[in-house]
Amino acid sequence: MNGIARILRKRWLLYFLLCSPIFYVCTPQIQYDTEFRADPAKYLLDYVGLAATYIFAIVISITPLRRIFPKSGIVNSLAYHRRPMGVSVFVYAFLHFLIYYFYTGSWAEFVKDWEKLFILSGILAFAFLFLMAATSNNRMVRRLGARYWKRLHRLAYPVLFLIIYHQAAQEKTGFRETALIFVPVLALQFWRLVLASKAFLARRNDSANGAE
Amino acid sequence: MNIRKSKPWNLPESAATSEGDYLNRRKFLKAVGLGSSSLMGGSIARAATAGFPSTKNENYLSEELEPTDFELIAGYNNFYEFSYDKGEVQKLANQDWKTEPWTIEIAGHVDNPMKIDVNDLVKKIGGVEQRVYRFRCVEAWSMVIPWDGFELSALIDLAQPNSKAKFLKFTTFYDPDSAPGQKGGSIDWPYVEGLTLEEAQNELAFLATGIYGKPIPNQNGAPIRLVVPWKYGFKSIKSIVKIEFTSKQPMNTWQALQPREYGFYANVNPKVDHPRWSQASERIIGSGFFSKRQETLMFNGYEEQVAHLYKDLDLRRFY
Repeated sequence: MNGIARILRKRWLLYFLLCSPIFYVCTPQIQYDTEFRADPAKYLLDYVGLAATYIFAIVISITPLRRIFPKSGIVNSLAYHRRPMGVSVFVYAFLHFLIYYFYTGSWAEFVKDWEKLFILSGILAFAFLFLMAATSNNRMVRRLGARYWKRLHRLAYPVLFLIIYHQAAQEKTGFRETALIFVPVLALQFWRLVLASKAFLARRNDSANGAE
Repeated sequence: MNIRKSKPWNLPESAATSEGDYLNRRKFLKAVGLGSSSLMGGSIARAATAGFPSTKNENYLSEELEPTDFELIAGYNNFYEFSYDKGEVQKLANQDWKTEPWTIEIAGHVDNPMKIDVNDLVKKIGGVEQRVYRFRCVEAWSMVIPWDGFELSALIDLAQPNSKAKFLKFTTFYDPDSAPGQKGGSIDWPYVEGLTLEEAQNELAFLATGIYGKPIPNQNGAPIRLVVPWKYGFKSIKSIVKIEFTSKQPMNTWQALQPREYGFYANVNPKVDHPRWSQASERIIGSGFFSKRQETLMFNGYEEQVAHLYKDLDLRRFY
């Protein structure tokens, strides 16, 4: 394991990085951000939503990165942190959900918005993230059994598409921001599928040859 | 005897804040490290349309309307010619972009077409006045802004449209070298907006050259912009270089971009939602995290003045 990978493995560093978006909005500097002053609820809503999105984009890319770079120490350190990172996606999504309540200003407005596909996609993604976070500890893994647990946590893929839609629907023109984050993510997933089908074909060829 | 009846949106002079806001603004600029010679301060000093004292129009002041802080009006801007990021516009619009001198062209079906310097235009009109208007963005937020300028109808009188003129087509500047946002993106520059002639002749339709008695900052649409307070903010086109009187309805930029979401009329209407969010209420800029939303008013509170323009129009279809 090289030096960077070893440092990346430190839990305290991970927790620091995962909390750093919160530290930033707590600095007095934020007072001079006109967008924050103009509408703090809107600012924080976008801010924590984006934090959840970025961390999610990293977590969902860990498996393809492991397949593509199986020997990379950095990727393995990242994989080591997968669970706390996943939970932090839920935490930021929860803050996003909570702030959205304040942004709408009342329970009635809040619920009324759910009929909009844009909002519904976010609510659904949040519900799935909740299920995954609630079953993220060892006890739940044991209780569900590895197979069902794994199946349940494949919810990450519907969440991926819900987040892409949710993020894109929030942009007023074009999909620049969404593309910037998710084109690389989808490219990694695609590459992983290519590798998997190659391995599958190779295995089939092997067994076909063996039968001769 | 002429007794002026107070209308619902009328409010007293005391409502048009000024001193405190200016002081705050300086403090704010100092705090973020912008000397008065750099950003807005500098542009105001050499801006076009300086030197026209503004008198408050008592008909358009309002007690119930509390003007938004100047620093927020000047720092929270949708101006995609510079950036998609509302907080970045102020900086970018004050770098390379020159708003002085500025010529505006009046063309199309008029008896008196002209190309005129914006200062000469203000002189010709006879100076500016201040009106406090609500400003409602299609993104469901709102401000209250003391604009300085003149009624659009005064310019129409000057242009003398003929019988073929049915619409006004407004065009913004096009200068990708100084407006980085115009270099690309999904928008077909320059930005275009339109009104019917009847709408343009309404007493509320206004051309603004200032805010809070000072020349309008670059990021707010220097040196001259449209203000149509009963419509969503995107109709109030900024930094106008051309006003053309046309016989056909102009295709406005947002309608061209997303016709399902933005129409030609774009009247503020709490009953017709944007496909992605509700228009029933709005967030008040500068009111803080925990503040409740404000209910959005039909025609943004100017129903009495403009409702007659749309009495035969299905507002659900013609949003």
